[in-house]
Amino acid sequence: MMRKVKEFIKSPKATAISFGLAMLLLLFSSVGGARAAVSYISEYYTTRVQMDNIGVTLMENGNEISSRDYKSSSDGTWDENTGKLLQGMLGDDKQVKLGKRYKEELCVKNSGTIDQYVRVNVYKYWLDKDGEKQRDLSPKLIGLNFVNLGSDWLIDEESSTTERTVLYYSKLLKSGDTSSLFADTLAIDSAIGTKVTQTTKKEGKYTTITTTFDYDGVQFCVEARVDAVQDHNAADAIWSAWGRKVQVNNGTLSLQ
Amino acid sequence: MKKRSIFLAALAAVMIAAGTVGSAWAYFTTYAEAQGGYPISLGDETRIEEEFSDWTKHIAITSAEDSEPAYIRVKAFSGSEYTLVYSDASGKWTPGEDGYYYYADIVEGGQTTEPLDVKIENIPEDAKDFNVIVIHESTPVQYDEDGKPYADWNIKLDSGEVEGGNQ
Repeated sequence: MMRKVKEFIKSPKATAISFGLAMLLLLFSSVGGARAAVSYISEYYTTRVQMDNIGVTLMENGNEISSRDYKSSSDGTWDENTGKLLQGMLGDDKQVKLGKRYKEELCVKNSGTIDQYVRVNVYKYWLDKDGEKQRDLSPKLIGLNFVNLGSDWLIDEESSTTERTVLYYSKLLKSGDTSSLFADTLAIDSAIGTKVTQTTKKEGKYTTITTTFDYDGVQFCVEARVDAVQDHNAADAIWSAWGRKVQVNNGTLSLQ
Repeated sequence: MKKRSIFLAALAAVMIAAGTVGSAWAYFTTYAEAQGGYPISLGDETRIEEEFSDWTKHIAITSAEDSEPAYIRVKAFSGSEYTLVYSDASGKWTPGEDGYYYYADIVEGGQTTEPLDVKIENIPEDAKDFNVIVIHESTPVQYDEDGKPYADWNIKLDSGEVEGGNQ
């Protein structure tokens, strides 16, 4: 009996049957896609597509600043809006007051129709008068105060630098919900006044010692980029999309 | 024949594997970004304006146009031979424990302080020249977390001195 089975397996007939089975499997695997395509115009399918729209919005002081939402028409296009941060920060002040803590409440809203996990990349840097980045001026003097760390927001120390801070929201952000704040205030450290160069000039009876500030005329910049990924197979999706190993247990994300 | 069988089997496996690639890549992702910032102005330039009459120096400090808001203080030295008496009609100059006189108001760019008078006393009857040095310093206005202004005299924007004089 075993001998007959072995002979059958070795025969061309068995190979042909195996190949035929493989083709059938392949055929069935594409049936789902074909069926979906057929039902694309059906009411049922339209409803299903609306459930799968991903979208995310960066919020500042309760206002929507920038967003990118997949259109409900599912035609492969996005509703995109890119705004500017810090527009109303100064209030009645004519210029930035060193040391003063300005309100800068930042968080993320899920503006899509599926639940998601989010992370934020925050960049802080200085630009000279020509708009060129000044790498010798310290981003630490731009004091964006991060909050809810350790509980809601996790700092990815491996990916963070002096200029960039990477934060992961540990909770599942449900459709329509807004995260807790990841920053609440912004202050420019008055220590920038200690970075100086002094020159002495004598004119007749007058001696003038002039202090030139290294930071005079430069512009501080804060940049925030929010990334969102589907909650389904979140760990694999995050690894694939962001290249970061994470664990998701009972909806709570942790960094590996 | 055997090679052909292996080839067909491998081809079938590759095709099936390829059929799953699409779903592996089909993760939903999106992003949103924004940036903003402001320039920082720290520069300042102040200059002493001085008139002299009746053995009194009338001192005022002028902040140059486009200078940033600053606090100002002034101090005069005469050595031991003269006595210096400070006075001001505006009441905005206050003596500090360090011998400086501090101007109460923040001086904006283009503004001039009220005058501070420094009278030189105990002048010898035959004296025609004297040597009194006046120093002024300015510091940028600092703010606490609530935006309340204060001066940090460890940070000096601009300083200068003038010496001598004759009647």
